[in-house]
Amino acid sequence: MNKEAALSVAERDFILDALREDVRLDGRSADQLRPLTLSFGEEYGHVKVQLGKTSLIVRISAEVAKPHDDRPFDGIFSIAMELTAMGSPAWENGRQGDFETYVTNVLDRVIRHSNALDTESLCVLKGVSCWTIRADVHITGYDGNLIDASCIGVMAGLQHFRRPDAVVKEGQVIVYGIDEKVPVPLNITHKPLSVTFHTFDEGKLVILDATRKEEQASEADVVIGLNNAGDVCYLSKFSGSPVDAMVFVTKTTVALEKVKELNGIIDKALQADLAKRAKGGLAEQARAENDRLIG
Amino acid sequence: MSSPLILLPGDEVPTDYLPSNGSAPLRLGPGLRLLSEAHPTPASTSKHVLTATQAGILSTDNKRNAISILSSSNRRYVPTPNDLVIAQVHHSSVDYFYCMITPQSPHAVLGQLSFEGATKKTRPMLQGGDLVYARVLSTGLGAGAEVEIACVNPATGKSEPGGLGPLKGGMVFDISTGFAARLIRASSAPSEQQEVAGLVVLDELGKKLEKVGGFEIAVGRNGKVWVDCSNSEDNAVRATVAIGRCLTAIDEHNLNPTDQRKLVTRILREMKIES
Repeated sequence: MNKEAALSVAERDFILDALREDVRLDGRSADQLRPLTLSFGEEYGHVKVQLGKTSLIVRISAEVAKPHDDRPFDGIFSIAMELTAMGSPAWENGRQGDFETYVTNVLDRVIRHSNALDTESLCVLKGVSCWTIRADVHITGYDGNLIDASCIGVMAGLQHFRRPDAVVKEGQVIVYGIDEKVPVPLNITHKPLSVTFHTFDEGKLVILDATRKEEQASEADVVIGLNNAGDVCYLSKFSGSPVDAMVFVTKTTVALEKVKELNGIIDKALQADLAKRAKGGLAEQARAENDRLIG
Repeated sequence: MSSPLILLPGDEVPTDYLPSNGSAPLRLGPGLRLLSEAHPTPASTSKHVLTATQAGILSTDNKRNAISILSSSNRRYVPTPNDLVIAQVHHSSVDYFYCMITPQSPHAVLGQLSFEGATKKTRPMLQGGDLVYARVLSTGLGAGAEVEIACVNPATGKSEPGGLGPLKGGMVFDISTGFAARLIRASSAPSEQQEVAGLVVLDELGKKLEKVGGFEIAVGRNGKVWVDCSNSEDNAVRATVAIGRCLTAIDEHNLNPTDQRKLVTRILREMKIES
């Protein structure tokens, strides 16, 4: 089937009527995000994202591999996402639908093609070995706005991840284990996030962070990807009815505000996790000073 | 019968918990199954035992001689005869409407004439995407069995209980199946049983929204609630959203009666509905 069940006529009409009165089903305003919580797992680069009822898990992993022949100085970064039956009963395991292709494509463009992760810093030995960073996105609950939630997850994961240290000694690559040497954070050049808008009523009503029902009732979606500095790195309107050009202009300002807000939440969560790890972590153990009282 | 009894799947229902009304046949609700006893002991009088198929609180209804399991908040719905459900018409054929009770499951059939007072000429013309409030007639046995639903009692030709039939307008909210069962119980049962359900939200909303025109509600066991406030005119949309938010929030956070009252007051104030 691999298809979301259609909304009933009553639901579709009601969502539109309510939006005309500036009311959303969960009582949010048109430009308001659902509550976002981020939690981190035991290991580096393991992030759980909960955006309203949409939830997902991102795992970042690293291994040493041979770089591509045409780019000997670059490491490899890939984002893998699969929509499985775990996320929604509408998705079938092992069958790729249009939606999956679309979301993967947007993630690729917003994060990978905007060079959020500096791949040159992943090079270990020119043309011989480099780091391959892989981000796996697992959807555990789907209630709309998968693109933004995945973007948040991947970006938070990349900032949280620490790769093992590797050095080159006499032409040999030596990788130190996480417990041997303090692992190194990835080199993040900027922090792009996407913000998805949905339009209703011939493009007159625009809302962000739509739920599944709102997504289904909408006419078209507009995805804007940008970073804290306001550099737009992605802009798309793939399908649906036409959207006025002014919507892009005005909503980019809104999107910038939201990206700053989201990045703020991510930073806060990262810092809280770092503080938790600092106690009893490797840094604490490796500390040269001791707790003995002097004197 | 003193304290509520909690059963796990596979647990047998103790005989002293069964309703004592001996003459009428015992009605089994969802979550229970009649099995033959594996090792009949000479002491037991009957060869059958009642076994729970879901975890939950056992609830008995002495008046109707019925017994069922109040399950917790799960999302999966398995059709059981006599359940009231909100179904969505998908397509129709000459004899049947094919309806969706739960998404991504085989369609249930609804006879074109299974409506109150329906004849070939007066039957409702339902389109794909329309909603009906119906009762599960039969679920069939074995693989490929069709679930049949109806908006009329085949024996009497009336829509029993009242309110079955097409649902016009309004909005549908998704809730857990356990909560749906509790809502039905709370609105239909006498006051002593409301304690088991622990729900005061509908009474509270009814009181507060009476002045703005009241509301209509239909609860489907398949985890859907249909709400309509078309009498409230200007407040219609906001009142509907307020009810939906109250119900989903209570379902999600499992609120107790005091918190339910607080929530209702808070949400109505947030949605700017004067009461």
